[in-house]
Amino acid sequence: MTAARLPRVVLRLHRTALIVWTLFVLGAVAFLVWLNEVEADRVQAQTTLCRHASTYCANVFASLDYSSPMGWISSVVYYSFWGVAAWAGAALIGRELESGTAQLAWTQGVSPTRWLATKLALPALALTVGGTLFVFVFRWGWSAHRDLMGDDWTFNDVFAARGPALVAWSLCALAVGTLTALLLRRSLPALAVSVSVMVVLNRYMEKHRTDLWPNTPTDRSRHPASHFWPMNLIETGILLTIAALSTTAAFWSLRRRTA
Amino acid sequence: MTALSVSVNTGHPTSPRLLRWLVRLHRPALWSWLGIVVVLSGALLWLGGPLTDASAAAWRQFNACGMGTCHYDQDSITRYKDAYNYLTYAVLVVPFAVAAWAGGSLVGREMESGTAQLAWTQGVSPTRWLATKLAAPAVLVAAGTGLLALLHHWAWSAGEGRIDTTKPWSSFETFYANGPVPVALALTGLAGGALIGLIARRSLAALVGGLCFTAFAWSATQLAMPHLWPTATSVTSLRHNGPSGAGITLSSGLLTSGGDRIADPYCGSDLSLQCKDLYTSLDAVSFYKDYHPESHFWPLQLMASGVLLVLAALLTLAVFRLLKHRTAS
Repeated sequence: MTAARLPRVVLRLHRTALIVWTLFVLGAVAFLVWLNEVEADRVQAQTTLCRHASTYCANVFASLDYSSPMGWISSVVYYSFWGVAAWAGAALIGRELESGTAQLAWTQGVSPTRWLATKLALPALALTVGGTLFVFVFRWGWSAHRDLMGDDWTFNDVFAARGPALVAWSLCALAVGTLTALLLRRSLPALAVSVSVMVVLNRYMEKHRTDLWPNTPTDRSRHPASHFWPMNLIETGILLTIAALSTTAAFWSLRRRTA
Repeated sequence: MTALSVSVNTGHPTSPRLLRWLVRLHRPALWSWLGIVVVLSGALLWLGGPLTDASAAAWRQFNACGMGTCHYDQDSITRYKDAYNYLTYAVLVVPFAVAAWAGGSLVGREMESGTAQLAWTQGVSPTRWLATKLAAPAVLVAAGTGLLALLHHWAWSAGEGRIDTTKPWSSFETFYANGPVPVALALTGLAGGALIGLIARRSLAALVGGLCFTAFAWSATQLAMPHLWPTATSVTSLRHNGPSGAGITLSSGLLTSGGDRIADPYCGSDLSLQCKDLYTSLDAVSFYKDYHPESHFWPLQLMASGVLLVLAALLTLAVFRLLKHRTAS
């Protein structure tokens, strides 16, 4: 295997993961479009009927048919970074170090640094493209039928899925999973540790999101909607910093080991 | 390959030998499991003891307050609530972890690396190998998960009547973490994980398969559970705002004079003229509700656990049959 063919080899090795990710993103996007273009009209007609108290309507909670799948989509796509952490720790890096495939590649004209760079760059590209596509479609869908929804922009999943923080979570999970696998060199322990680290980090961030931007003195308890962008960008910044530090540490530990 | 030296030395390893070999191979998992059970048990004792006491005291302070501002220990209340929620989720996640381990590590990994196949050539019959692999973890999993569910039930009931925001018995997470369902689900996960490990013969694929299988079994349990015991039905006068009866609701609505059941328009009490007219036009005479009251907790839990244990037994049978079929040819 030569260095030039490395990207193709990586793609072939993780073909299943790429297919699963593509179907996952496209499925979520298609579901969003269907909900907003088809289902929303039907639900809207029912809720309009129910608004007149004197007429009998058989489905008072019709708006749930629209709002609950909307909530599910954003939650599932947001928390998919758990899966990214698991995959990066176990399948992308851990398994190859464990089985010796990685070590074999390094003797075949591929430098360890180049191996790791390719292994990180391709998934990072796929995660960024898929995540960005979802964020744009979700922003459109989420604002299309506000009267049918009972949530607001501060909900954990909505907050993340309406900005670059969604992509930052998956990139951070990729980097943390990679570092864990390089340190532990075994797939199953790396999977368990990287998922645990990401879950704890996520719980911590969600609890302290409100501290990311100072509140206006008039209303101490709640952030106005105009704080969405600064808060989302700061969270993105924090996550990308953690991702950059983990990646640096991963390269450093790999170079130290193979030197 | 230290693990194999045991069986290589002796022609026909006895059961204690096999057990020791299993323990040596999965020592990290054994220690992790003991660690998880000890930490969660300690946390549940802490929740049911000091945390509940502090929260109950804060609620007494709060309830003693008049209309004006007053001081009460809000931190104790939120600390109890957070700890309760996290620990309930932790108890519910245990069966998933067991299934992932059973698929990925216990069976999948050994099939992938060939350790299992090697063991079978060393005088260990495949059936014996599998029996040991399933029986020892099953005992530990049942004991550990059972202890956690028991402690969860105890910690939950310690707050009843003392903490104003204690979860009701029928609250989804509380209901499942308070009884034997997590134990049965963990055993089903163990058997299902082992079967998938044997089929997939790859550790990561079997891990994902084990998780998906448990998620499927878990969802099916949730869908079936309310139907596993006959419901109670309450009939309430239209004077009230809606049907009475707290618990797990299956259906509710209006009863017509002919006894038909129709959907509730959620208008409220017929004391309002508008609603009275609406009910008259619908020929409705009362509210009804099919539900499970608190006395159905144990029947529902035991029926759901029973169904899961039957599934676990069938899966175990399938694992043995598949292994026999595979090693015979």
